[in-house]
Amino acid sequence: MTLYWKMGALALSLGLVTTPTWAQDYNEAPALAEAVKAGKLPPVAERLPAKPEVITPVEQIGTYGGTIRRGLRGSSDHNNILRFLSPQGLTRWNPDFTEVVPNLAESWEVSDDASEYTFHLREGTKWSDGAPFTADDVLFFVNDLLTNADFYGSAPPARFVIEGQPMTAEKIDDYTVKLSFVAPYGQFLQELATPLAQEPVLWAKHYCSQFHPTYNSDVQSMVDAEGAADWADLFRRKCGDLEIPARWGNPDRPTLDPWVATDEAYTGDATRVVFERNPYFWQVDTEGNQLPYVDKVRWSVEQDAESLVLQVLAGEIDMQARHLDASKNIPVYYENQERGGYDILERLNSDANAMGFYLNLNEKDPELNKVFNSKDFRIALSLGINRDEIIDLVYLGQGEPFQIGARPGHALYNEQLGRQFTEYDPDRANELLDGLGLTERDAEGYRLLPDGKRLSFQVDVIPTLQVEWVDAMELVNEQWKALGIETTTNTVERTLYYERGDSNDFEMQVWNAPGGLDPTLSPRNVMAVHPQGSRFALQWAKWYLSGGKDGMEPSDSMKRRYDLFAEFKSEADLQKQLEIFEKIHQEAADAFEVFGVALPANKVGIKSRKLKNVPMSFPAAWMYPDPGPTLPQQYYFEK
Amino acid sequence: MLLRYFIRRLLWMIPFLFVVSIVVFALIQAPPGDFLTTYVAKMAESNEGIDQATLERMREQYGLDRSLPVQYWKWISGLAVGDFGQSFEWNQSAWSVIKSRLPLTLVLMLSTFIFAWGVALPIGIYSAVRKYTVGDYVVTFFGFLGLATPNFLLALVVLYLGVRFFGVHMGGLFSDEYEGEPWSLAKVIDLYKHLWIGILVLGTAILASLIRIMRANLLDELSKPYVTTARAKGMAEWKLILKYPVRIALNPFISIIGIYFPALISGAVVTAVVLGYPTLGPLMLQSLLAQDMHLAGGILMIMCSLTVVGMLISDILLALLDPRVRYD
Repeated sequence: MTLYWKMGALALSLGLVTTPTWAQDYNEAPALAEAVKAGKLPPVAERLPAKPEVITPVEQIGTYGGTIRRGLRGSSDHNNILRFLSPQGLTRWNPDFTEVVPNLAESWEVSDDASEYTFHLREGTKWSDGAPFTADDVLFFVNDLLTNADFYGSAPPARFVIEGQPMTAEKIDDYTVKLSFVAPYGQFLQELATPLAQEPVLWAKHYCSQFHPTYNSDVQSMVDAEGAADWADLFRRKCGDLEIPARWGNPDRPTLDPWVATDEAYTGDATRVVFERNPYFWQVDTEGNQLPYVDKVRWSVEQDAESLVLQVLAGEIDMQARHLDASKNIPVYYENQERGGYDILERLNSDANAMGFYLNLNEKDPELNKVFNSKDFRIALSLGINRDEIIDLVYLGQGEPFQIGARPGHALYNEQLGRQFTEYDPDRANELLDGLGLTERDAEGYRLLPDGKRLSFQVDVIPTLQVEWVDAMELVNEQWKALGIETTTNTVERTLYYERGDSNDFEMQVWNAPGGLDPTLSPRNVMAVHPQGSRFALQWAKWYLSGGKDGMEPSDSMKRRYDLFAEFKSEADLQKQLEIFEKIHQEAADAFEVFGVALPANKVGIKSRKLKNVPMSFPAAWMYPDPGPTLPQQYYFEK
Repeated sequence: MLLRYFIRRLLWMIPFLFVVSIVVFALIQAPPGDFLTTYVAKMAESNEGIDQATLERMREQYGLDRSLPVQYWKWISGLAVGDFGQSFEWNQSAWSVIKSRLPLTLVLMLSTFIFAWGVALPIGIYSAVRKYTVGDYVVTFFGFLGLATPNFLLALVVLYLGVRFFGVHMGGLFSDEYEGEPWSLAKVIDLYKHLWIGILVLGTAILASLIRIMRANLLDELSKPYVTTARAKGMAEWKLILKYPVRIALNPFISIIGIYFPALISGAVVTAVVLGYPTLGPLMLQSLLAQDMHLAGGILMIMCSLTVVGMLISDILLALLDPRVRYD
């Protein structure tokens, strides 16, 4: 398994491993010890599982106490909380993002064809209200929600559906559950470690079933009292769901997270969000101290990212990366390090490119469509970009010329996919364009299409996402002008950008290209599989996702990749999975659909100098929802 | 007389707010897409796709699949009976989100109002009576400086100076120890320890014009014969000025309240965003960006109502102050 994810040069050794030791005497935070003495809480040994997971701290055993101060943006920032608490799923990523390790499941067995997964839960694990966590909770999701049309409509979450059939569950005993699919599903354990497949262990049956009509025949009166649309709406308000803020808005919802919501939860009227330790958290350190070390996590609610930057400089943020990584701020962080008393963390960029170009291969205009679909044209555009100039002027010398795919050092790195046509060679580019028959030029020196129109198109850029793109486009427009191609920068608002994609009403768009560290989890640039992300051929993605009913028929090369992808998903053997994905990358390299400017520089984060056990370098990705997998529950404040 | 006038004005607010509600609804619907397209955009940014069927289910749940007139009717008929509808983003009622922010918004506005008028009045009188003196030039200079500097920039500068020289971030409205605590005298003091920045920033922006208005009006009056007569009769200078010309010069100064009230509300949005105030302004901005229709619409309606009330207050004050003003 390590081989599969090995990142070679990028491999980190964070020294954070879990070893099953047998601690007999457990310790707990002083406040909890007092509550036990007062009879308000059962003793720590009864709150912990029979065999709690033992975490080896990054640096040393910590001490209890303190509040980690962070900042939230006012709107749609629920994943800020998720990423710090970490999605507590059946599995999780190890700290260096190289393999999947046990989390709420202590261990598992996989059937030979990778269609049946038997998970062993940690016996005696408790929800944050003290109720036992058992196989019934998993079954509650699978039997009462996954297949419930009122809850998910006709579309249950895709991660639990194989060949159109949703996952089924069988309870072996209270702590053993078997999840089965109709066909092999080799990627299941990885999917469970992402932030998007936590459902099997998200909902506590004993609490959430009161909002479910199967368990509460009188649920309608609760729906009415709450003013909800239906029971599913009520359920989501009270028990949350993935990707909605309401998940963190109800302090009564039992969770399995290290910290739980207080009365100051994440709701629309919150001015501050406070989470406090979960007295039933199921992990201990190597000396038997129950985690987390830190008492509380507090988020101030800010409207403006600049205001968060000021808080960093004033030393009022203990650990944060989110909203802080605009490259223009980095010098400011270094300048004020002493005053603010913080260290600067390195977050390994998981993107393959700082600026990817997505030429619309499904272009509506037939003349442009023909040109865009010619590989030589794309090669000419790529050769016509002076990447070193852009890196020097726009990215302040950070990065090296690159296209797409896995980053160098990753096991799936494909040099052709990453480096082909990155040299600056306008002469050869012009030759290629001449070779396409685009030899006629108008008075201003621009090439003409066969129908006599100027070869000219717009490039959509969202300036609010990365202001550097607008600057870089200024240079690219000039560089392509030298090839006789007219491009204009079209700065658009984010929603319009997507609308133009949905209606197939764009010629070229710019986006950063994900998939540098997580090529198999974010394959959207090498395969048209993502309805919003595969921007070089959204209509192919629609065709793929609708089983050929919708969209446009893809190229033969893309169809071969779809077949390989299906093979990849059902392959149980990790070595073979790797080989299949290499073939996908090779097809993409030969097709040369998406190109870019440069490998993006690493991102930054900050942490208070008093906060210990924080690795100084870790991956930054959505699929590895940093800093969650570095286990914030073992961070502590030095006295 | 006054009561009848007051009631008539209140009744006029109903058709006015109805027209406003149409404009508000149209404006919120004007940008491309709806709440769900914005939601999809956000999801895609975090590298996640959402399938079409789920989108359709949500669109139906939020009523976004209906025609615009139907959506409008659903909203306005609820609004008429005090139901602001649901916030799509938060899965909670829009009013519950708004109501917690309303009091602090009013505190900020009224405090700024009292500050600006309270400071502008004496300075305006002073600079009229002592026109073209060093003092007049100094206050005028600083007044114009405040007028010319964008609010948010001034706020950023103040915040920066706070970090640079005192090592604290002065944004927000409460210190950590008072946040979430019940109200007490200490908490109010803490509030004003933070709020003065906002009051200062918002206040300075309108100070200059208030001073100039007061100054110009008073200058007009000061040269009138009745002033000369009173002075000739030996009336004490300050008593004379305060009792006669200032009272007359006050009229435009009061009627301008109605005009500056909306300016105060809209100016407060960006400033409050920069200062991190939990007031209505930033909430309005984010709900508009998210196209969270009921929340954004509810806030805009409340802000428009406040503006109308502001106008009414200024008209009534004027009528009380000056017997020459008629009630029709």
